[in-house]
Amino acid sequence: MSTKAKIGRYVRYILYGILFISVGGYGIYFVQHPNINDLNRFLINAILGLSIFITLNTGLLSLANAGFMALGAYTSAILVAKMGLPLFLSLPLAMLLCGLLGLLIGLPVLRLTDVYLAISTLGFGEVVRVLIVTTPDLTGGATGANLSTGFPFEKMRQTETWMLVLFLLVLIYLFYWLDRSKTGRALRAIRQNSSAAANMGINVVYYRNLAFVMSAAIAGGAGVFYAHQVGSLENGDFRFSRAVDILSYGVLGGTTHWFGPILGAGLLTVLPIFLREVVGTSLDVIRNFAQLPLIINGVALLLVVIFLPGGLFAPSRFKRTPPAINEAELKDLEPPIVAVDSNPPPGESGEPPPLLELREVTQVFGGITAVDNISFKIPPGIICGLIGPNGSGKTTLINLITGIYRPVKGRIFLRGQDITGQKSYIIARMGIARTFQNIRLFNDMTVLENVIVGHHARIKTNLLTTWLRLPRERQEEQLARRQALSLLKRLGLLSFAYQPASKLSYGDQRRVEIARALALNPALLLLDEPAAGMNEVESALLAEFILALKRQGYTVLVIEHHIDLIMQVSNEIIVLNFGKKIAQDVPVGVQQNPQVVEAYFGQE
Amino acid sequence: MVDASLLTNPVYFLQNLVDGLARGAVYAVFALGFTLIFGVLDIVNLAHAATYMWCAFAGWVVMAVLNMPLVVGLLAAMLFGGLIAVILEFIAFRPLRQEGAERLAPMISSIGVSIIMVSLAEAQFSSQTKKFPSEVLDPKPLYLGGTDGVRVSWAQLLIVVVSIVLMVALGYLIRRTRTGKAIRAVAYSQRAARLLGINVNRVVVVTFFIGGVLAGAAGILVGLLTNNINPNIGADIELRGLAVVILGGLGNIEGAVVGGLCLGLVETFSIAYFDRGSDYKDAIAFLILFLILLIRPNGLFGRQEANRA
Repeated sequence: MSTKAKIGRYVRYILYGILFISVGGYGIYFVQHPNINDLNRFLINAILGLSIFITLNTGLLSLANAGFMALGAYTSAILVAKMGLPLFLSLPLAMLLCGLLGLLIGLPVLRLTDVYLAISTLGFGEVVRVLIVTTPDLTGGATGANLSTGFPFEKMRQTETWMLVLFLLVLIYLFYWLDRSKTGRALRAIRQNSSAAANMGINVVYYRNLAFVMSAAIAGGAGVFYAHQVGSLENGDFRFSRAVDILSYGVLGGTTHWFGPILGAGLLTVLPIFLREVVGTSLDVIRNFAQLPLIINGVALLLVVIFLPGGLFAPSRFKRTPPAINEAELKDLEPPIVAVDSNPPPGESGEPPPLLELREVTQVFGGITAVDNISFKIPPGIICGLIGPNGSGKTTLINLITGIYRPVKGRIFLRGQDITGQKSYIIARMGIARTFQNIRLFNDMTVLENVIVGHHARIKTNLLTTWLRLPRERQEEQLARRQALSLLKRLGLLSFAYQPASKLSYGDQRRVEIARALALNPALLLLDEPAAGMNEVESALLAEFILALKRQGYTVLVIEHHIDLIMQVSNEIIVLNFGKKIAQDVPVGVQQNPQVVEAYFGQE
Repeated sequence: MVDASLLTNPVYFLQNLVDGLARGAVYAVFALGFTLIFGVLDIVNLAHAATYMWCAFAGWVVMAVLNMPLVVGLLAAMLFGGLIAVILEFIAFRPLRQEGAERLAPMISSIGVSIIMVSLAEAQFSSQTKKFPSEVLDPKPLYLGGTDGVRVSWAQLLIVVVSIVLMVALGYLIRRTRTGKAIRAVAYSQRAARLLGINVNRVVVVTFFIGGVLAGAAGILVGLLTNNINPNIGADIELRGLAVVILGGLGNIEGAVVGGLCLGLVETFSIAYFDRGSDYKDAIAFLILFLILLIRPNGLFGRQEANRA
């Protein structure tokens, strides 16, 4: 165990210790001085915790939830106290408004790198407060929403504990099933590696927006209950420090399981009350040190992020005793093969169009031409090797084909269809799957789950089927699971199905990547150094496997430094040097090509 | 919305130009530290504003409590900022600089440190405002063009001079020195820099030190300008700093300077020429930030493409 993990264990003990002492101590106090407001406040914070959880679980850092909470609170206060709507009607309206606003903010920002969301949400809370202060007729302005500004107290105190419990239970139900659905898997995949997720056909921007909108709506809902719990509102209730509180519920409590943020909310709600009301009554030092809870919060945040990245409550996602696999059940489930189209549309000359065609593709990075005017065609059903010295542009070429980069010049066609500059997830769905030179598996998932992610685009379920538990949901999931298992069987990985992907050997991880890519059912498979880190035996098996893929109708483009492997499997080899194509020929031809020899061994 | 008589008053216009430039210069100095650390390390250091706030207090202690002269106060605040930033690097950022750490973790740890710093300041100085004694900086302003002309306070003059010196010094450091070369190398690729024999950790410490010095300078200058130092001044500038950094392009040094001046001018002029400008002034930074993200996410002067999701 690493030093960090060891310290992390102690951090967990200490935090649980603080949690139990403060909850226990406060519990004793509570029995003597029952205060339902404290309980309600905890429940509201727990809801807020879940609102931040959904973004953290997607790998997004949002500081907007104090703003959405304010928006929900004021919306409901106005609807209920001024316009006479019942509370339960104002709740969905406020949530809808927050969700829509979340979409408005998320749409432009979430297509950018993740830091932009954090930065822009930091400002959002401020804007909401400016909005509140500058509309006194509607919101009570700087004075606040209270009796003097037309918010009668009796209409503003309607939050009951049972409502909060009910709301929280509904959220837990939704989160529980979400985690077990296609959507939940996609969100976790995005958190772990967004570019790999995109290359598996997951629309990253859509799912990020989905998570952000859900988060906004839930925070708005919490705001509704908050307004009717406190009875009056002030813009100061929703300062930046509130956003930090909400974030802390999630980060401290845990970002991988819905129970984490509830625990975090419990810790951070009870601790200040415990210090003030229980410890503070006998210890003046503590009572006079009002900042102590905040300082503890800050220190805990720091320690957890460094030593306990999953948070306080982070149960392993991996089962100790994996379910038995019924191999017989997988027999008739050889996954559908996209064979070569038997009746391809004829091209201009009557020839079938090539599967992949690059026309004068060029890519420049900071003045360096990484890919220089490259054109080639790959007919369907062949294995094409792509070789060249280090830095000759091989991986860049794959990144261009899969839409990670957009070429500065040139066009790329798949089956005659222009895919230049198309988004990665669409290219993946159109039939191009890939593996990565530096392995990009989803490490917090089992081998099986990794492969199921590859099925993403084909699983026809949605949030409605998930939450209504429609029969289709289970059928689709089971089908995907069985297909994934049979794929694993074909690659000899069945015994690893329920193991964490990160625990496998290098060579096995590469094969899992291939299985995941095959799960997309691609017409073209791009393998980026599949034999790296494999020994002779493994590499020979891989060659067999690649040849088997060809027999099944797949077209494969493979980058590899093991020349033996390339020569053995390829029908055709493309050679790159300094970003230029210097040869495209059958293996023997390439071996005898003086330019290729020169590129590899230098001039004689 | 706009008072017509003000529109045609050239002195009023010039006055706001001066005020706006002084305000913008401070934003620029603050944002420079932000953008430098982001440019080199890809980290948004959300404790930058807390560093700034503590430096304002440090300068206040040196000048108002220890009665030291202005120059000593300035240098002390800047040095203090550098020290805090280096400590931050060791406790909040270095432990997270490794393979597999989540990209957003440094941001969260910097929020944690920021909470601690602000709470400690509140505990130490209480929330009430600290002011400088009048010996530090003559409160009587200079008049350009007679007493009806444009007022320039000594603090504003000091800000403009110090900002220009710092910007020039930073530009020289980054472009012309060995250290600057190493910083640029690390910014380009930590791995490549390490392979070339550059001590990456040392370069990072130096970068943080410079960032902290800039935060310190901004803190003490704003303190002198507004003569109002309290534990919450960091919150006021944080969003503005980020808006400036986005406006100029994340990691872009020249962009931060121009962006800072732009924001200072826009804020000052909207307060001056619009009826309720001061109510909305806190929203201006956000609006700029959001508009830029909407139409030019690489910033006004950005060259690199912002990584797409």
